Amino acid sequence: MMQVMDISWAALAGVFGMLTVPAIIMLWAGVPLVRQMILAAGRMTVQLVLVALYLEFIFRLNNFWINSSWVLVMIVIANLNITRSAGLKLRRLFPYLLAGLAAGTLPVVGFFVCIAVRPEPFYDARYLIPISGMVLGNCLRANVIALERFYSAIRANAKEFITYLSLGATLQEACQPYMRQALQAAIAPTISTMATMGLVSLPGMMTGQILGGSSPMTAIKYQIAVMLAIFCATVITAFVNIHFSQRAAFTPYNLLNPEIFSR
Amino acid sequence: MIRFENISLRTQDHLILDSISLEITRGNKAVFFGPSGSGKTTILMCLIGGAVPTAGTVLFDGEPLTARTLPHLRKTMAFIGQEPVLGATGVREALMLPFSFRANRARTPSEEQIRHVLKSLLLPPDILEKQTSVISGGEKQRLALARALLLEKTVFVLDEVTSALDPRSRRAVLTLFRQPDLTLISVSHDPEWLALCTRFFKVEKGRVTTQNTAPVFQEEAHEKEGI
Repeated sequence: MMQVMDISWAALAGVFGMLTVPAIIMLWAGVPLVRQMILAAGRMTVQLVLVALYLEFIFRLNNFWINSSWVLVMIVIANLNITRSAGLKLRRLFPYLLAGLAAGTLPVVGFFVCIAVRPEPFYDARYLIPISGMVLGNCLRANVIALERFYSAIRANAKEFITYLSLGATLQEACQPYMRQALQAAIAPTISTMATMGLVSLPGMMTGQILGGSSPMTAIKYQIAVMLAIFCATVITAFVNIHFSQRAAFTPYNLLNPEIFSR
Repeated sequence: MIRFENISLRTQDHLILDSISLEITRGNKAVFFGPSGSGKTTILMCLIGGAVPTAGTVLFDGEPLTARTLPHLRKTMAFIGQEPVLGATGVREALMLPFSFRANRARTPSEEQIRHVLKSLLLPPDILEKQTSVISGGEKQRLALARALLLEKTVFVLDEVTSALDPRSRRAVLTLFRQPDLTLISVSHDPEWLALCTRFFKVEKGRVTTQNTAPVFQEEAHEKEGI
């Protein structure tokens, strides 16, 4: 393995200096986002430094229970974000969506780590945590789209929905057209990312591995496997979450409960 | 067949329906009339389980309307709104939509039955090949009726269903609904529709203020609409 070229703190500060260019453009164009940009860059730095310290600690311990707990914490945080961003009430939907997210991501991550990568031990933090994070991060975006589209469409087409029910459709049958559209919207970006990978963008994980000293062939094998895992988890979680959440989102008369919306 | 026992529906700051009690039996041709916003459409919604009363009981065939009994009610009743939802891009697809649902698959109509129903509603057979986006409001209303007839529904819950029909189509629809075995529960101010009806319910501010079989209500309904 090649020696990794570290970035000095001074060089990193220099990279921060590059932000003056977008700041000048924004000021010149009257885009009122300079303050947000500085805050976002600051937040990112603090968060990542904390994560680095934390990961170093976790990697050193490499304990099954700590690693598993950290994955569960990531699932809970991702779920909080999904529920809020989809405009749904935490109190009503959180447990259902948590179950859906766990049911969709854990088997995929488990398969990826235990069957494809096979680290020793299988719960090795160096693999388990970053891979879970990548899968969850991508599921998060897809699930926000799926849930938001699904429930907003039923709310906006209430008459159409009741017509389906009055024509003899079960709840599942009445939900079918909205679920199809929601899943399509959620899955399409991941498919297009897969299709253009390597042509439009060099994926972050692959780039990171190459910079870290891995051979490009090893890096692309990881990237392909990760992309496929992300895609599987995206489809499974979006589908399962739409199904699981229906238990809390509809009344016994199969009508959408308006109480589920937070806005 | 249908009984409302002290039905009320209240939202956070509005009383939409206020202690409504009424009974409609099989074969009745019932019509609700009254000013806009008085709660007529909400009454129809409560009938089909599209709105849930906050107080009182809806009884269907003697049984309270619950999640368990609702599928039976929805199987018996056809609901068609003022602007009917066809739910598909093609007319044939829209007409066949309910037969894609498990509950209706065994009743999938033959081509001959489809053409017969279309003819009875004065719809040309080539309409089947059109897109729903290019047909008129009146054609949409008749297609929604055709779909309910193909489903062999016997109870029709109709909200201003003749509003977009030309006189000739309206007469065809009225002729169909004169059949004594069909039950109509409707909202309308159409004089010809009212002439077909046998039960009249006047709705004002969420209450059924009068109900009768006397045709005097027909005149009152006309006056409300300035007919």
